[in-house]
Amino acid sequence: MASCILKRLRRGIDIATRFKGYGGSVSTQFLRLTHGEAAAAAETRPTVRKFDTIQRSQLTDFGKYVAECLPKYVQKVQLTAGDELEILIAPEGVIPVLQFLKDHHNTQFANLVDIAGMDVPARQYRFEVIYNLLSLRFNSRIRVKTYTDELTPLDSSCEVFKAANWYEREIWDMYGVFFANHPDLRRILTDYGFEGHPFRRDFPLSGYVEVRYDDERKRVVVEPVELAQEFRRFELSAPWEQFPNFRGGPPVAEEVPVDSKEKK
Amino acid sequence: MQEFLYVDLLQTTGLTGLAVALNPHHTLGVLYGKILRALQKMPAEAAYRKYTEQIVKERAEVVKTTRDVTELEHKIGCGQAEELILQAENELILARKMLSWKPWETLVTKPVPEQWTWPPTK
Repeated sequence: MASCILKRLRRGIDIATRFKGYGGSVSTQFLRLTHGEAAAAAETRPTVRKFDTIQRSQLTDFGKYVAECLPKYVQKVQLTAGDELEILIAPEGVIPVLQFLKDHHNTQFANLVDIAGMDVPARQYRFEVIYNLLSLRFNSRIRVKTYTDELTPLDSSCEVFKAANWYEREIWDMYGVFFANHPDLRRILTDYGFEGHPFRRDFPLSGYVEVRYDDERKRVVVEPVELAQEFRRFELSAPWEQFPNFRGGPPVAEEVPVDSKEKK
Repeated sequence: MQEFLYVDLLQTTGLTGLAVALNPHHTLGVLYGKILRALQKMPAEAAYRKYTEQIVKERAEVVKTTRDVTELEHKIGCGQAEELILQAENELILARKMLSWKPWETLVTKPVPEQWTWPPTK
């Protein structure tokens, strides 16, 4: 017993020193993954951001690692903006992929930073749902994307991340993406009795109803929007090209090649 | 006063809500054993099983050979013993869930052709 206490005592003294020494040993887990080929030619233009090639190759390797571990769900792995890793997954795999990223020894993305939505009406599955994760242990971030349409529910990630509760309510409120098995899916940002999902691309800029104080009835009334002029038909197309500088520019995302043998 | 501070120090991990483990060697040994047993039920060529077995065996070996807790933490290099226990617990839960999910199978849904293109096609 006495020796046990003595050991504890020594550990106690060490704690202070150990906190300082974290940075060095922590990254070894990532380094253990074999390094792939180095990134392409170095950037020389002075006004263009330079990427850390080591970090990029680590992210590439890590993306391959995730795709290899979960071939059932990962559709594509890509690097966007040079050094942001994205895992694009099938909608069935939301919970398995997030649980893997959260609980596996080599990932430990224990924080859900945000869930975002995106609406592209031209696509068959028009909504994208984007999960941003942070790993404090390895000081790295990852983005998980999946897709759905107006009618297909996605599995709620509340059982993996408690933080997902309000984020998913937000997505539900703004885009109308339904989350199955969510404990408390209701409107969160819009007003009481609000109808529609304001972040959908087909939601009119002026809304459907307007709210004003009626002096005769001495109360606030809600009425359908009446515009003196037909403001709703915005003509947004311009005769000139908006971003000509981006024509023929580098692609937005680079795909990380995933070994298809693993997928069989 | 000095002694009091010392006693305070050795009773904490310095992390909120994470109590000092009394016998980390035993706990870690048991957890790693359980993880390895759960992994046994997966197909041998599954990448998840392969990598997890590698990590867990490596750590279990360190736990077996090192008596001193501080040295153990230093050798594994992934936080304090209490955090290692947490990680092992998480991995165990994950491994058991993986058995029902079977993520080593082939891709469940192929994306529709233009799903992931950006900028979107008209």
